[in-house]
Amino acid sequence: MNTNDLIEDLARGLEPSAPLSRPGRRAAAWLLGAAVYLSLIVVGISVFKVRAPGAGAGLWVSQIAAVVMGLLASRAAFVSVVPGLPKGSRVWAVLAALVWLGTLVAASPPDFDWAAVLGASHEWVCVGFIIVGGAPLMWVLAAMLRRGAPLSPATTAAFAALAVGALANVGACLSLPHANSAVTFAWHGGVVVALVLVAALTGRLVFGWSRRSPPTASGAT
Amino acid sequence: MTDATSPIDSLGELMRAAQQGDGASYLELLRTITPRIRQVIRRQRGFAGIAEVEDLVQDVLLSVHTVRATYDPARPFVPWVLAIVRYRLVDGARRYARIARREIHVDEEDVTFSEPATNDDIGEPEDAAALQAAVRALPEGQRQAIELLKLKELSLKEAAEVSGTSVGALKVATHRAMATLRRTLGKRRE
Repeated sequence: MNTNDLIEDLARGLEPSAPLSRPGRRAAAWLLGAAVYLSLIVVGISVFKVRAPGAGAGLWVSQIAAVVMGLLASRAAFVSVVPGLPKGSRVWAVLAALVWLGTLVAASPPDFDWAAVLGASHEWVCVGFIIVGGAPLMWVLAAMLRRGAPLSPATTAAFAALAVGALANVGACLSLPHANSAVTFAWHGGVVVALVLVAALTGRLVFGWSRRSPPTASGAT
Repeated sequence: MTDATSPIDSLGELMRAAQQGDGASYLELLRTITPRIRQVIRRQRGFAGIAEVEDLVQDVLLSVHTVRATYDPARPFVPWVLAIVRYRLVDGARRYARIARREIHVDEEDVTFSEPATNDDIGEPEDAAALQAAVRALPEGQRQAIELLKLKELSLKEAAEVSGTSVGALKVATHRAMATLRRTLGKRRE
């Protein structure tokens, strides 16, 4: 088919295609759903297991940092599927991730034992929580992102995983007890980094052009 | 990608109308941006032949069409479309590198068979006439593909230049033509 024929074909079969909402608004919609979902899980676990997480200023500071990271990472993911938008949001998301890790390090006891931290086998529950609990969040986020342009699938997937990991980490921290922030830093930080790496490596399978959903006239989010 | 005849705003206006389903505006928009896209691709891929450039142009147009919902009418159109061009060029380069890594060039060699029965292409004179008739009966695009690639033995690139179609389209047309010929001649033999 020559290019002129292609142009005519595309124009002939044109259907209305409502513009997507702005990335910030889409990120906010996803975050709202994620917050409701995680709240239900946290409350559910608290009711059935009645195990309060270790409280303290450090815990809350790192949770706030994680929520901000989730917000900025999800926004960066949504921005990455819109052609022509500036890439500054990626820098902010990475900075937020570093701040989150920094808050965990800062709240860690000065004399913690790395061997004990890495040997904290009960943290596998948190790993499971972040991965299994985060899966529905990732599924919804991926479905929303696939309505955009798959310009750089690895980047999109990495920021999506960072956002999901951040929020699932908050859920795990609020519903399961943790010995100290060093344990959270090593285990939660490790899982989130692993999720980001796996997502970056497999992003093309989910967000490649061949996986792109056709545009529809309905729905703007 | 801007000049006096197509200011940024008018492209944005056309895209906005296209998002509402206005085919005429969309046609005008695509016709306006295609030469500019071609120009950008030629500048970026100076080594590419005509057919490869057209393949990339068509890739970009299909991408623009697929993700047209991501255009925000409140933002300028040109950065949006240029970002798509840029990313599709990178994808094209990656694809080319991937294919080049996997493909091994093999010289064509004559194949002979010891048993006459296996030399199916040694047919009767009427087979040639039937083949000609079957080729003539093919749809225009398929017939042209067969004539250029199989009868005149042009390369895909040369055939694409002669016919003004893309390499991909030629491959599809040839594949379909071969299937039709196989069916037509198979029926005749039965």
